This record gives sequence, C-alpha cells and structure tokens, in this order.
Amino acid sequence: MNRHFGARRALGIAVASALAVAVTGCGGGDDAGRSGDAAEGAPSPGITDTSVTLGITTPLSGSTAGPGTCTVAGVTAYFGMKNAEGGVEFGDGKTRTVEIEALDDGYDPQQAKANYDQLKDDVFAMTAGLGTPTNRAWRDAAIADEVPQALIMTGDPLFSDTEESPWQLGFVPVYQNEGEAFGELLAASGEDHKVAILSQNDDYGAGYVEGFKSAVEDADNIEIVDELTYEATDTSVDAQITELAASNADVIFNAMSLVPLVVSALQKAQQLNWKPSWFLPSNTSSPGAVLEPGGGAAFPGIYSVSFAKAPASPAFAQDEDVVAYLAALKQYGDYPDPPAFPHCQWSWMVGATLEQAFQNMEEPTRDSFMEALRSIEGFQAPLMLPDTAVDTTQDGQPAVSSVVVQKYNGRGYDTVEAFE
Amino acid sequence: MASAPSNRASTSSSSLSSLRQRPWVRWAAPLLLVVVLAVLPLVMSEFVNETLARIGVFAVAVLGLNVVMGYAGQVSLGQIFFLGVGAYVTAYGVTNEWNIVLVFVLACLVPAVAGLVVALAAARLGGLAIAMVTIALPIVGVPLAKRLSEYTGGSQGLSARFAEAPEGSGLFDDQWQLYIVLVIGGTVFLLTRFLVRGKYGRAFAIVKGNENVASSMGISPYRYKVLAFTIASLIGGVSGFLYMVVIQYTSPETMSFGHSIELLAAMVIGGAASIVGSLLGGAFYVLVPQLTNQVDASLTTLLQGVILLVVLFVLPGGLASLPRALTRGRRRSGAERGAAASTTSPSSTLGSGTSAEEPETERQGHA
Amino acid sequence: MGKFVQLVVDGLSTGSVYAALALAIVLVHQATGLINFAQGGMAVLSAYVVWSLTEQGVPLIVAILLAIVFSIVLGAVVERWLMRRFERGDPDTAVVVTIGLLTLITGFAGWLWTYNNQQFPSLFSLDTVSFLGVSVSQRSIGTTVVIVVAMVLLQLLFVGTKLGLALRAVAINPQSAAFSGLPVGRLLMVGWGLAAALGAVAAVLVAPQLTLTPGMLDNALVYALAAVILGGLTSPIGVVLAAWMIGILENLAAVYVPFIGFDLKVAVPFILIFVVLLVRPQGLFGRKNVVRV
Repeated sequence: MNRHFGARRALGIAVASALAVAVTGCGGGDDAGRSGDAAEGAPSPGITDTSVTLGITTPLSGSTAGPGTCTVAGVTAYFGMKNAEGGVEFGDGKTRTVEIEALDDGYDPQQAKANYDQLKDDVFAMTAGLGTPTNRAWRDAAIADEVPQALIMTGDPLFSDTEESPWQLGFVPVYQNEGEAFGELLAASGEDHKVAILSQNDDYGAGYVEGFKSAVEDADNIEIVDELTYEATDTSVDAQITELAASNADVIFNAMSLVPLVVSALQKAQQLNWKPSWFLPSNTSSPGAVLEPGGGAAFPGIYSVSFAKAPASPAFAQDEDVVAYLAALKQYGDYPDPPAFPHCQWSWMVGATLEQAFQNMEEPTRDSFMEALRSIEGFQAPLMLPDTAVDTTQDGQPAVSSVVVQKYNGRGYDTVEAFE
Repeated sequence: MASAPSNRASTSSSSLSSLRQRPWVRWAAPLLLVVVLAVLPLVMSEFVNETLARIGVFAVAVLGLNVVMGYAGQVSLGQIFFLGVGAYVTAYGVTNEWNIVLVFVLACLVPAVAGLVVALAAARLGGLAIAMVTIALPIVGVPLAKRLSEYTGGSQGLSARFAEAPEGSGLFDDQWQLYIVLVIGGTVFLLTRFLVRGKYGRAFAIVKGNENVASSMGISPYRYKVLAFTIASLIGGVSGFLYMVVIQYTSPETMSFGHSIELLAAMVIGGAASIVGSLLGGAFYVLVPQLTNQVDASLTTLLQGVILLVVLFVLPGGLASLPRALTRGRRRSGAERGAAASTTSPSSTLGSGTSAEEPETERQGHA
Repeated sequence: MGKFVQLVVDGLSTGSVYAALALAIVLVHQATGLINFAQGGMAVLSAYVVWSLTEQGVPLIVAILLAIVFSIVLGAVVERWLMRRFERGDPDTAVVVTIGLLTLITGFAGWLWTYNNQQFPSLFSLDTVSFLGVSVSQRSIGTTVVIVVAMVLLQLLFVGTKLGLALRAVAINPQSAAFSGLPVGRLLMVGWGLAAALGAVAAVLVAPQLTLTPGMLDNALVYALAAVILGGLTSPIGVVLAAWMIGILENLAAVYVPFIGFDLKVAVPFILIFVVLLVRPQGLFGRKNVVRV
C-alpha cells in the first residue's frame, strides 16, 4: 500500500497544479505592476489610446445582490450612453470608450481580494464596489500596488482619509454624516423629544448612531431613552420594537439597511399602536418599496436623508435627468426593471464623477487620475438634489458629504429645514 | 468484515506494480514533486501564485475537516470557525507585534483548545449533538466576533500586513507567501498522512464504521472522537494562520456558516477520507468561483450549482476517485454505483449516529 | 407583564416560520432518511411560481393551488432523477448533493427573477387583533393556525395511515420493504413530493413578511434544523413545539438576559439543544434508536 502512495500523490498534486495553472493562467496578466514594482511615469495598465477599462468587485449573488447589481448597472449604463455618443474626452486630448469589467464576490472578503488580484493588471482603476469588509479586504493591497479604489459604495470613513488611504475615495456620505444631519435637525427643533434607537449591529448601524449622538449630545431637549440592535440575519425585529414601544419615545432613530425588516418594523409599531416620528437611512426609505407596504402614512412624520432624486417619485417624473437615466439603465445597463435600490442612482452619479476626473486628468496614468479625482469641487452630478454636490477636495470626506433631510409627504419626499 | 477505505483499492497490472516496487522509483516521484514545488513560485505569474496560495489555505482547512468527518466519521459543520479563530489570533498577534513564531503557535493552539473543549462536551452525546454543536460554532461565532470588537476589530475587521518578502531574498511578496503556504501546508499534509496511515487512522476508521465494535475491541470511541476533533481544530487553526498570510484581512464574514457548508461540499467533491482529495477540495473551493466569474459574473450561483451536481453525478466518490472510477469503468460495466454502495456501506450502517441524518436501523449486524 | 406576553406571542409567530420549514424537513427525513438542505430553496421556488402567476393576474388561491401541484411534481422529479442515485450511498455525499441543489435553485431563481425583494400578496390581512393587552396581526394568527393544522395532518399521516406506515418502512429498511411488495420508488417520490408541497405552503405563508428573494429561507433553515434536532427527527408535533420554544425563548433571553442581548440570542436554540440532548439524546419527542450489532 505505501509503495503506491508517493507516485499517486505526486500524480494527484501534479494534476491539481496543472489544473490550477491552466485555469488561472488564462485569467492572469503579465508581470507588469507586480507588488513593489510600480514604475513612475510608465503608462498604467488598462488604458490605451482608444479605451479605458474599469474594474468592479461587488456582490452579484447572495443576500446583498440586489444593491450589488445596482452598483454595476448604474455606471455601466452611464458609460454605455457616453460610449454611444462617441466616448469620453480625456484631459490628454484623446477620446476613449470606457469599458467595465465586473466580478461577483458574494460579499465574501476573500473572494473580493481574489477578484482584485485578477483584475488589477487588466484595469485602469477599480470603482463602485459595495460593502465595507469586502472593500477593506483589498485596501492594503491596492495601496501597495498603487491601484485606485475610487468612489466605492461604503460609508466607512477610513476610505476618505487621504493619509490612511491615498489611493481610495468613498462615494456615499459616511454613515456618521447622515446620522448627524438628522440629529442636528431634531436638536434644533426646540421641543423636548424622547428618542429610541434601533440599529444594525455592524459598522453601518454604529456609524449612524455615532453621528446622531454626536449631534444631540449637547442638546438639553433630546433624551435617548432606549437603544437596541439587531443582526442582519434576523428574520424579524418584533421583539425589539415591542421593547422600544414600551419606552414611549416620540421619535425612533432607525439605522436599518434591510428593506423587509424596515417594513415589518413599521407594521409592528402600528400594531402596538406606537406611532413615533420615524427616521430612516437613505438606502431604505423608498416610498414604493418601503413606506407604502409599511403603511408609512400612519406616522406623524417619516424622515430620511438623501442626496439623490428618487426616480419613482411623482415630483421627478418629467425631470430630464431622470428620464435619460431610466432609459439608459434599460438600454445599456442590462437592468430592465425600475431601480429597486438607490445604489442604481448612486452608481450613475459615480459614472458622472468619473467622467469629470477623466476630463481633467492630463496623463494616462493612475497618479494623474487620482489627482484629478481629488480636485472636483461643486459638481452637481445628474440626479443630485439641489443643495447637494460632489466635492472631493475635502480630506476626510467622501465624494458626497452634503445631504438634505427630507420628510415623507404621502407619495414622495420634500426637503425640510426644520422638524415638525 | 468492512472493506478497507476505498482509496487504497489496488488497480495496477502486475508489470506496473513491479516497476513501482523499484526503490529508485519510490523516491523519485516525491523528490520530483519537491523540486517542482520549489521552482513553481519562481516561474509562475503573480496571479497564479496567489491562486495557488489560496488553494493551499483551503486545502489545509478541508484536510482538517477530512480528519474528523472523512476519516473519523463525525459530522462537523463548524470547521470554518476554527479557521476564523486562527485568523483572528494571527491578526491580533501581528497587530500587537508579537513574535511571529509565537503567533503561529498560538494560532495552532487556541483553536485546538477550543475544539478540545467543544469535543469533550459533545462527543459523549453522539452524532446528533456533535452536528448541532458544530453548526452552533460559526453561527454564534459571527456575532461574538462583532461583540468582542476590542480584540477583533468588530464588523470592520482587522488588517494585518506581515507577509512581505524579506529585503534580501529577491523574492516578490506573492512568491514568499506561496512558499510559506507550501512549507507549512506541506508539513501539515505530511504529518496528517502519517497520522491516518498509522494506528490512529485505523482506530478512526473502526470508530467511524461501528462504535460498538470499536469499544468491544478496546478502542474508546469517545477518546478517538475527541482526538479527531481536536486535530481537526488544530489544522483549522493552521489554515487560519495561512489565511492571514495570503489574504491579510479578516472579518466576521470569514467564519460565516455559508462557508462551512462550502467546505463540506469541497471535502466531498474532492474526495472524503483522502489526502489528495483534500487538495482537490481546496482547489475546487477556490477555482470554481473564479471560473464561474469568468463565464458570467451575474450567474455565478447557478453555474456553481450545476458544476457541483455534475461532478457528483459523474464521480459520487469525489474527484480523488477518478483513477479508481476510470479503471473500474474499464473492467466492470455500470457497477460504479454498486461498488460505491458496497465500499461505503460500513458508514451507512448505524454506529451510534455518524451523521445527523442517519435513519434508525434494525439491520442485522453486517459490518 | 404585557411586554412579556407580547414577546411570547411574537416568539410564537416567529417560531411558526421555523416550524413550517422544519415539518417539511422531517417529512423528507422520514421518507428517505436524508436531511434536505434544499428544502427551503424548493419552497422558495414554489413561492416564485405563485408570485409570477399573481403578477399575470391569476387569483391568489388558484395560484397557490397550482404552485402546490408544481411543488409535488418538483419534489418527485428531484427524488427520482437526482437523489435516487445517492440515497443508498454515503450520506455525506447525499447531503452535499442537496447543497448543490440549493445552490442551483437559488441561482436559477436569481437569474429568472433577480435578487430584488418582491412584494408577495398575503393570504391574511394585517389587521390587528387585541386581547389581554397583547396585539397580534391576523396574519400571524393565520400562519400559526395553518402550521398547527399541517402538523396534525402530518402526525396522522405517519401514525394513522397505511401510506405513512409504508413511507416509514421504506426509509427504515428499503430492501425489506421491497420484499414486502411495497413500491419503493414510487413511495420515495411521494414522500419528497409531499414534503415539497408542505414547503410551498410554508413559503407562501411567510413570504409576505420576509419579502420574496431567492435566499428568503436561508436564515430560517438553520433554525428549522435546530428545531428538527431538538424535537426529534421523527415527530412532527415535537418539531413544531421545539420551533415555538426556540422562537419564544430567543425573544425572552434577548430582552431579559442582558448578557445575551439581541446579538447573541441566536445562541439560545443551541444551548437549549445541548441541554436537552444531554438528558434525552433522541430529542424531546424522538424515538430511541435501537441498534443491534
């Protein structure tokens, strides 16, 4: 028995290696740009005189595939539209088409890093990926390899700190900003309020709560009476709502990123006859998907923060930006249904912001790109609400740092200045 | 009496076996292997090296699972938990700048101790309890990792860049990492191979086959189950260390329950109770997502399901059974299923529940 | 006190979600001796069939009935053409085949209907019923009632009918059953078909609350498995009671045991199982295994 072993094991390992080499060798690039090998001034990979390729690693399967698919659809639609018009004019004078290569990471950080490894030698820059752990997994590698990780969909403040993350930039507002915006509104209302908090037990929820608390900590009229969390894998938050209802708070600060749980929370509160004013984050406040099934009209006020126009809102039905966006999404973005998540709109804005950077970059290099990316100021991307703009020049802030607080009016949202 | 574990079935004709008996052939093959592995990282591209390193990480994880599940027959759906613990211990130690050897030792010992404690409690209760406790490990582990955020970095995870190639070696980072994986992983594979080919392996097989027979032979099922589980956890910890070497980041998602299921699938697809099978299982775990991504990034789940089912349909014994299946296919017609059933019937005869789903049986003793 | 009772009632409602899936798992196990990891996936597929039909304008009840027929066929086909090959072999391989099936179904549903959350029409209204200071929705009551009816029917099937006896015989000893003249193959298909139908009913009941996505029942599956093992692999009543117990104790532990809190409340079912299995290795209501060497 033992005498067969060595030969058989060698065969097995040789087969496995051959398989591995054959399969992965096809996808692997050449040795240019190997870790610790980036040369200055040399043309970066992923860009030629006629085209530039962007890479995305994002969840396209699993529980976060809904928003994940949107993060690809928006930017693909935007550049699909631009390519059809002839391409984007770059700062170095050449007009190029923009290609997108997207890979699925299933919200697994290890897979995200593998996707990055696979893409980094073929693409000019990485962009638009969803998720904090998945983006964090290859952040260090991107810094070491000097690959841009530009305009990603996470509110984690680490990505916008220029010193810590020189090759990164977040797109969406940091979670703290959104929480703070509502906290300031509430504190400025002058009346006494009792606040109950229900947040998701991860950096997302914690960020919102941190921002909210920092805005209300000096306000005498605001008292936080109860604070609970829930897990993203929970099937129901009934128990939490029951306990919070017992606190008789008149405002609930709800940092929840899962649509079904928000709907069921709204429904449960009504069942218990507890009708506080309700705060929801920007990604789970859609009138069609959340407030109507949840019965939002029963509450004295549903507040949210936003920087993007909601395409489903009747107020924007004739808005030309919205019309163009919806058409492009269907035609170029491979997304035939109405956008189910705001990430579709955000990804469209990422496309527009990238176009700005492309128009300003003077050389076809990643260095030049990052410089151009970090110098965009006061840019009103299509679909942005008035009073919000893209500003990438502020250290410590992502591309979008301004949000407005809005209140549900039964069909859509109105921007409000004060808490009513 | 129970037939020997199927991967030892002799298949060669007499002339081939006499060739293999020659001493120089016996030594040449492993030596050639060592040379190939030593040279491989230097000639392959960065991406291939990184992929091979990842395969190594999960091959070690699957190997651990094989020890407790393939060889000893105990259901474990928590192997990823030990990988996660090993990774977190490594990340914590590196972030606090402890000596790297100490970190490695801790990454082996802490999960092993955890596994020992779990096994001591659960092994007495039979297959069902072990299955449930192992399911509990990753499911409770994820919120626990989030709660202990001072040590684990919470839901944002921990980054730890420590596997950079040393200055004077002239190696690139990916080559250095692959060497680490090859050396450590290779050692673990070798040690495990000696383990399962020795008296412990035989004891595991008997415990897997029929626990009552085992205890009547003086082999304590309890002791060997605990041993198997502890070894599996230790190996899981090693794979966690290697995970940090290659990925350099860990978060609660590292030990999610879904990955445990994927490891189980990888083990069966590679070939249960097989050393080579563990390697193939690791390759399956890493390569299939990459392959499906290349075909169509939005259809990865669908394609993965298809591949899994096709492989199992064609090779119910896993990829490692391919040589056997080929020779058997030549000699016997359509009896693959019959052979698979007869060689694996010891495990489906009820001991005291080798897996959670076993039916009660009143079959007359026919081990 | 009101809060306590409300938590118990809410826990009962959550537990019913787990119980629904657990019943289907028990049925498959009784019929074929396997744990079907794809049970939830098959149930979700049937729910998608209902949803597609209602989107075309078919009335809800008709759609549900059609989907039940679909699920019976699906279950039978899966058993005959996929699982049959693996049923006599290594049980680990069979489990991994069901895992592969789950992956395939999830991917298929994601491809056909996307991963977006779809609104699912509800059989029961959401109106609240208040009693004893506790408020509960009609939907929760309806779900629980249907589960209880299914549980009773299943128990009767296993214990009181020839079909149930035949199913159990086939699972325990297929060869003897064949020798006794039972049509083993057809019975296996019936077992899987019935389980799939049960799963379809479960999915239809819970989809309005959870919203319809391909992975809708993935989280519930673990709890369902816990309920199955806690209640005993052979007893429908046992698993439903176990599932309710898990739902209720989880809520109570989260609120009244601050150390556990809402994030670690998932540990409660497993602690429970561990304690119970220490005392009764066959689960609360299971039958003891008899092994002859």
